Amino acid sequence: MANYFNTLPLREKLNQLGVCEFMDNAEFADGVNALKGKKIVVVGCGAQGLNQGLNLRDSGLDVSYTLRKEAIESKRDSWKNATENNFKVGTYEELIPSADVVVNLTPDKQHTAVVNAIMPLMKQGSTLLYSHGFNIVEEGMQIRKDITVIMVAPKCPGSEVRAEYVRGFGVPTLIAVHPENDPEGKGLAQAKAYCVGTGGHRAGVLKSSFVAEVKSDLMGEQTILCGLLQTGSILSFDKMIEKGIDAGYASKLVQYGVEVITEALKHGGVSGMMDRLSNVAKVKAFEVSEELKDIMRPLFQKHQDDIMSGEFSRIMMEDWANGDKNLLAWRAETGETAFEKTPAGDVKIGEQEYFDNYLLMVAFVRAGVELAFETMVEAGIKPESAYYESLHETPLIANTIARKKLFEMNRVISDTAEYGCYLFDQACKPLLADFMKKVNTDLVGKNFNEGKDGSVDNRRLVEINEILRSHQVEVVGVKLRKAMTAMKAIKTA
Amino acid sequence: MSQPVVHIQNLNLQYQQSLVLQDLNWTILSGENWLLDGESGNGKTSLAKVIAGLLAASGNIKINFNDTNKLTAKVLLVESWYQFKNLEGVANFYYQQRYTSQQAKETLTVKAELAYYAKENHLSIDDVEPILEIFNFSSLQNSQLIELSSGEHKKLQLVKALWLKPQVLILDQPYTGLDFKSRKSLNLLLDEAASAGVTLILISNDDDLPSSINRFATIVNKKLVTVNTKIDLQQFIPQRENKTIPTFLRTSPVYSSQQIAKMENIQISYGDKKVLKNVSWEVKAGEKWLLQGHNGSGKSTLLSLINGDHPQSYANTLYLFGNKRGSGESIWDIKQHIGLISPEFHWYFDASATVWESVASGLYDSVGLFRQLPYSKSILVDELVEYFGLTEEKNRLLNTLPLGAQRLVLLARTIIKNPELLILDEPCQGLDKQQTQHFNQLVDELCSNGMTLIYVGHFESQLPNCLEKKIVLDNGEVILIEKIDKESKKHKASDALSFALSI
Repeated sequence: MANYFNTLPLREKLNQLGVCEFMDNAEFADGVNALKGKKIVVVGCGAQGLNQGLNLRDSGLDVSYTLRKEAIESKRDSWKNATENNFKVGTYEELIPSADVVVNLTPDKQHTAVVNAIMPLMKQGSTLLYSHGFNIVEEGMQIRKDITVIMVAPKCPGSEVRAEYVRGFGVPTLIAVHPENDPEGKGLAQAKAYCVGTGGHRAGVLKSSFVAEVKSDLMGEQTILCGLLQTGSILSFDKMIEKGIDAGYASKLVQYGVEVITEALKHGGVSGMMDRLSNVAKVKAFEVSEELKDIMRPLFQKHQDDIMSGEFSRIMMEDWANGDKNLLAWRAETGETAFEKTPAGDVKIGEQEYFDNYLLMVAFVRAGVELAFETMVEAGIKPESAYYESLHETPLIANTIARKKLFEMNRVISDTAEYGCYLFDQACKPLLADFMKKVNTDLVGKNFNEGKDGSVDNRRLVEINEILRSHQVEVVGVKLRKAMTAMKAIKTA
Repeated sequence: MSQPVVHIQNLNLQYQQSLVLQDLNWTILSGENWLLDGESGNGKTSLAKVIAGLLAASGNIKINFNDTNKLTAKVLLVESWYQFKNLEGVANFYYQQRYTSQQAKETLTVKAELAYYAKENHLSIDDVEPILEIFNFSSLQNSQLIELSSGEHKKLQLVKALWLKPQVLILDQPYTGLDFKSRKSLNLLLDEAASAGVTLILISNDDDLPSSINRFATIVNKKLVTVNTKIDLQQFIPQRENKTIPTFLRTSPVYSSQQIAKMENIQISYGDKKVLKNVSWEVKAGEKWLLQGHNGSGKSTLLSLINGDHPQSYANTLYLFGNKRGSGESIWDIKQHIGLISPEFHWYFDASATVWESVASGLYDSVGLFRQLPYSKSILVDELVEYFGLTEEKNRLLNTLPLGAQRLVLLARTIIKNPELLILDEPCQGLDKQQTQHFNQLVDELCSNGMTLIYVGHFESQLPNCLEKKIVLDNGEVILIEKIDKESKKHKASDALSFALSI
C-alpha cells in the first residue's frame, strides 16, 4: 500500500490539508436522524469503544459490538465490558454483514488487519467510520468503492467522552469525510449524526479532512503535547536535584505543576497563562521562551517535514515490523528516569506557587504551543486545526502526567503518539544542553519573585503583552474557546 | 478539677468577606457529650472543622488529650460529606458511573480501603470485624467504593471512626442516609464509645439520640448558646414565613401518557452480584409513592432505571412514559419528564456552577448550564430562586455555600420544569426541621395539582402528607406494595419497615 497523501498532486494535497471549518450549531439541527434505525456495529470495546457506544445507545441508536472470536471465547475484558452493559456481542461473521455503519475503534497498529478482515463482510453501500486517519492516509488503505468512509474523532479520552455526555455536555470533536469514498454523498450527514450521538455537537465541532487530521495530530502529539512535556519535565526535575532542591518537592512540583499551569492555558490561552505570573516574572518567562523558540524551531520543522513526507510513518512502521524494538527500549528508559522513580513528597504546594516556582515550565509551554502552531500553519494546516492539536490538547495530556507521571501519559496516548514523543525527546535533550546549563533555581524550584522589588519597564511590558495577545493562536483561540466555555475545571492536588 | 477536654476562647472565624463565628467560647469537660443543633447554616459545621484542625481561625483553641488514656490522642471529625478517590488520586466521578460495568477498575475495594486505613492509623483488622457485622457491612468487603450507595458510604465513614476510637469524636449529621436499624446501631455504638471515654460532639437535628448525650448547645448570632434540654433548642430556630408558591408551579403538569413507569420482572446484576431481582412495579400518572428499604436494598438502582441512567435497562422489560425502553428514545427524551434529586446526585453535581445556573440547568436536565436561557424562562428561574430565599446568593458558586443551602438550590432545580414526575430520594438531607417541613408542604401542594411523586425517606416523621402508596424493597426484591392508611400513616409505616428489616 502506498502513502495516500504522497499519491496526490500538490494542488490536491493543499486542498485536503486546508479543509477546516468550525461548524455552526444549526448544522446539527437534524440530531441523530441520519443514523436512526441503522445498525451500528463497533469493532473493539476498550475505553473509546465502550464509552462512545454507551453514548450512542443513550441517544436512541442501535449499537452492538463485534470482537475477534478469541476475545469472545476467552471472555476478555472487551467482551465483559460489552456484555455486562447489556450490549449484543458477536463475531465479525455474525454482525458485520448486517451492519449499516461499522465503527473501527481498534488501535492504529491493528487497523490494516482489522479492515482487511471486515471489508469483505461489509454490505453494499455501508459506512466505515474511523476516529483517526492514520490507516487511510499514511498506510494508504484502499476501501471498496461502494463503502462510505468517515471520521469522527472526539478530542478527549473515552472516560471523558462519557462523563461529559451524561452531564448534558460533550467533548470537542473533529469530523471528516474521505473524498475517495463518498459514493452516495451521505458521509457528512452521517458523521454529524454520529457526533450528535456522542454529544460532541454541544462542545464545538471542527470539519476537517483525513489528511488534515493525521498531519496535524501527529505533529501536535510528537512536539508540544507529549514530546516537549516529557523533555521539559525531566530536565526541570534533574535541574532541581542538581541544585539541591528537596527531591519530594521537586517531584511534586513537576508532576502537578504542568497540570495547574496548563489549566490557565485552557481557560485563557497563552496570554491567560502568562498573566498568572507577576510582571517581572512574565518579562523573564517571555525572554526565556523566545530563546527556547529559537533553539527548538529547527527540530519542530524537522518533525513537521518528516510527517508531511511520510518519513515518520515509514520508520515507525519499520519498528512495528521489528517487534517495536525502539518503542519498547525507549519506554523502559523513561520508566527508569529519576523523576519517574521519585514519589511526590507530602508537601502542600499552593496553586499560585506552581506558577511562581515553575516559571521554566510556563516558558516551555508558551514556546512549545506557539512553535507547534506556527510550524503547522506554515506547512499549510489551517489555524483552527492547528489550535486543536496544540493548545487545546495540552491540558488534557498534562492531566495524565498529574495522575501518574510520564509513564501514565505514555500509557494513555496511542503507540503512535508515544513513538513520536520519544523521537522528539531523544533529539530535544541534547539540543537544550547548553541552555539548561544557564538555568538556576529562580526559574525552577524557587519563587522567581523572591528578593526582587517587582518593578518593570512599562513600555517593555506593554510590548510583551501586545506580542502575546496578537499571536494567531490567541486570536483563533478566543473564538474557539467560546464554544467550550463549560469545560470542567480540574481540582488541584 | 481536671483540665477541660476542649477549651475555646474568643474564637473568630471569617469566610470570604463575612464573619461566621465571633468571640465564641466553649468549654467541654471530661464526661460531657454534646449535641450541637440549630438553624441550617448557623456555623455548626465550620466550628466542627475548627476544633478538628481542618479550618484555621483566630483565638485560643486548646485540646487537652489524656496521656493515660488508651484511646487515640486525636480529634476526629466525621464530615457530613463523604469523599473517596480513584486509584489515581482523583475524585472526579459522575453520577451514573456506578451503574456502568467497566473492567478497568477505578477505585479500591472496601477491603483494600480498610486495610489502607488500618496501616495508616496502626489499627488491627480484627477490631473492625464486629463493627462491620453490626452495620451489615461484611458482605460488601469486595465491592468497589464506586459501587456503594450513599448510605453505605456513610456507614463506611462511621465504621472507620468507631474503629479508630479518637479521644474526641465529632459527628456532623451522622444519621444522614442511614436506615432505621443502622441509626439504632449507631446510637448503641456511640454510647459504648462514650462509656469507654470518647468525648462526643454530635451535630444533628434528629429526635432519636444516643443516651450518653448530656449537654446541649446551638449557635446564635455567631456565638455558642447552651441550654438544658434538647427541646429548649427549638426556640432558636427563627420562624420563616411560608411564602405562596410561584404561579407557574400551580398549573397541572401535562401528561404525555397515563403510564409513567411499568417494570416487568426486572433483573439487574453486576457480575455475580444481583442488585434487583424480579422487580415488577407500575406507577400511573398522578400517583404518590413512598419507596422504602434498608441501605443497599436497591432503591437508587430502581430509580436510576426510571431516570434513564442505567445501562442494563436496555435488556429489561421497562416502559417509561408510554414507550418501551430501548425503542429509539434518548435519555434526554426521558429526563425531560422528570425532576430528580438524590444524595448521589448532589454529591456528583458540578459545584463550580453558580446558584442561578444550577437552578436553570434543571430546565435542560444538565449538570451545569450550557445554553442561553430565553427571557421567558429566566424570569421563572428568578422567581423560584426568590421563593427559596436564595436571591442574595444567586451569583455565588455552589461550593461556597453550606450543604443545607446547596440542597435548597438543587431542590429548586428539581421542580423548575414543573415536571410530570418528581423523584425525591431523601430530599431533605442537610435541612433543618423547619426547612424540611416547608419543603414537604411544597411537595404536598405540587402534588395536589396532579404531579406524580416517588419519595424515598428513612425518617418517618419527615414525610409529606400526600403519599398514598408504598413499595418496600429488601435485598433487591419487592416485599411489600400497599396503600398507605392516611389515618395512622406514620405509625404504620415505621412498623412495617421495622418488620421488614427484622426478617
